[in-house]
Amino acid sequence: MKINFTNEQHAFRDEVRTWLASNVPQRPLLSLDTKEGFEQHRQWERTLNKGNWSMVTWPKEYGGRGLDLIQWLIFEEEYYRAEAPTRVNQNGVFLLGPTLMEFGTHEQKSKFLNAMATGDHIWAQGWSEPGAGSDMAAIRTTAVLEGDHYKINGQKTWSSRASYADWTFGLFRTDLNSERHRGLSFILVPLNLPGITVRPIPQLDGEPGFAEIYFDDVEVPIENLLGGDGEGWKIAMATAGFERGLMLRSPARFQQTAAKLLKLYLAKQDQCSPMIQAKVVEAWAQSESYTLSIYHTASKMLAGGSIGSESSLGKIFWSELDHMMHQTALKILGASAELSQESRDDAAKWIKGFMFSYAGPIYAGTNEIQKNIIAERLLGLPR
Amino acid sequence: MNFIFTEDQIQFKDAIKSFLTDECTPKSIREGWEAKQSFNSDRWQSLLELGVLNSNLPEDKGGLGMDQVTLALMVEEMGYAGLPEPVAEQTFLINDLMPLLPSSISQAIEENYDAGAKYISIAHPLAPNPLFINNSAGLILFDSSECKFIAKDDMDFEIISSNDPSREIFKINSMKSTISSPENFEELNSAVSARGALMTAALLIGLAQKMLDLSSVYVGDRTQFGKPIGSFQAVKHMLADVAVRIEFAKPAVYRAAYSLSENNPKSALHCAHAKFMCAQAAELACKNSLQAHGAMGYTWEMDLHIYMRKAWSMMACWGNEDKQQDIIFKTLTSSSEELGVLYTF
Repeated sequence: MKINFTNEQHAFRDEVRTWLASNVPQRPLLSLDTKEGFEQHRQWERTLNKGNWSMVTWPKEYGGRGLDLIQWLIFEEEYYRAEAPTRVNQNGVFLLGPTLMEFGTHEQKSKFLNAMATGDHIWAQGWSEPGAGSDMAAIRTTAVLEGDHYKINGQKTWSSRASYADWTFGLFRTDLNSERHRGLSFILVPLNLPGITVRPIPQLDGEPGFAEIYFDDVEVPIENLLGGDGEGWKIAMATAGFERGLMLRSPARFQQTAAKLLKLYLAKQDQCSPMIQAKVVEAWAQSESYTLSIYHTASKMLAGGSIGSESSLGKIFWSELDHMMHQTALKILGASAELSQESRDDAAKWIKGFMFSYAGPIYAGTNEIQKNIIAERLLGLPR
Repeated sequence: MNFIFTEDQIQFKDAIKSFLTDECTPKSIREGWEAKQSFNSDRWQSLLELGVLNSNLPEDKGGLGMDQVTLALMVEEMGYAGLPEPVAEQTFLINDLMPLLPSSISQAIEENYDAGAKYISIAHPLAPNPLFINNSAGLILFDSSECKFIAKDDMDFEIISSNDPSREIFKINSMKSTISSPENFEELNSAVSARGALMTAALLIGLAQKMLDLSSVYVGDRTQFGKPIGSFQAVKHMLADVAVRIEFAKPAVYRAAYSLSENNPKSALHCAHAKFMCAQAAELACKNSLQAHGAMGYTWEMDLHIYMRKAWSMMACWGNEDKQQDIIFKTLTSSSEELGVLYTF
């Protein structure tokens, strides 16, 4: 055990910090869930790519830097420290990218990975359907093989980034006689094809962070099938593993929130009861613990271990922590906690974060589903 | 950066786990309760022979020079087994403090100590009722300004009753002769407070894991409505919540132990953090484990309370969650300590 950074790791941190200092936009970008903001964020993906910082954990052969998990954590720490823009291509870089590397053909890798890195393809997720949320195996959207293409009919919903994205990936039922997990295939679909209708869904903050996608006889070439026909569930589980695992929420963002919460509390301490102090300490303690745990897990993985159902533990922990921190901030803000315009205490930012923190326990598998996974797979409780 | 255990560390942990699984069963703990003699001298002797009691004494004092991380892993197992003998106290507090004690006191202890073979009890404002005085060779007593050593024969004591029958605690009525010294007191006092917090944290995480394991087995066996109750989501989710809290408390213990072994200036903060997280995890483990056991959990007959009682005591002693919260807040706000990214390591 050696819980210190090496000289090389410190040097890497300096390199990241220097680059970010001269490249992160001075003014915050518009929200990525607006048309103009989306394009600003796409531009930022291009800037990142020019510095070769857009997909740092990808292997060098795919244009990445081949960073290990510890370096990735350092990169993330610097990224949040610099308050760099949200990654509009999170779905591509962290979810589809690694899945393509594992299951894609040579042609698929060369076609999609580079376009992902350059920001030319921004990806939306296409898992949920009106009748298939937590119960993803209830998917009914069909993709029927007709010669050299699949014909897709049905509807996806809660599709993150789909309002403005270029492509979506998801599961489709290719065997019409199949049930549940069988007969599903993982298909990549350009969102500009004839027969596709995208209907943005305004979220709690009023912006269309996700959308419904309607498919009406949409023809997708067979080359867009990832893995084998009928192997979709297996591939999707691998994707969900990447997401719930280390990559979805690195500790840095929660540490930053905890630090800001303490600062906010210290500025308004005389207006708060001691109950609030306990919450502020808890925010620090839990984000510190989350960080330690992720470094512990990353070290284990570097030593050849793997991450399985344990990732469900982390998803519950950070999503509850994030909500608690924002809830506490609103209590500190008192009556300012209804201001949605800019103010000196950044109330509007806290409120936006507060609303978003309600999404954490839902997306990437609800916390209730995660608890079932923990109980059944880690604690050995009966199904 | 390599936040994993060495093979040696895992071997020590496994060795003590296997010893305690055989030698520290719920049955043997209950026998101690009934005989009103929870300090089992045979088990103490075996732990001495295994090299556990003096494991973290330096090699020239008859020990193995074990570091705090390995020790914390072993103490976690002592918690898991509900070990009544004060082995965690002997190693984590007494052995570890020896180099810091004023020489007059450490000499007196060494004369009575037999290289860790005999127990030296300890009392401190954060844990004022010393354990097992009748089985000890003497007592280290911290008050507000100095540290004292009193040999067993030089004090008059009586047993007082603890809610955990595994913990025989005492009240000192009078002392005939003491060796005392204010030398190095501030450093010594913060060292013992930090170690007390970390020791109880490591015990608590083991205790919490034990309660979770007992509950997981119980809800798989107990049938209602024609099914094991563990198949109901309400029960699953209660236990999953405990698993989450344990998962994120553990690394805080290992980091705090590492900080002590490296003499990190932030080790007091790290120890307070460990206790804060572990006390919360254990508190939830107690509540949800008892609930998962239903009425059986509320009986004397079920073994769950052996571990629950110890957990309640360990939450209270050496600074409870509230005290640690205070330490953390003062540390984060008093110095130049900066929060957020870059300051964890």
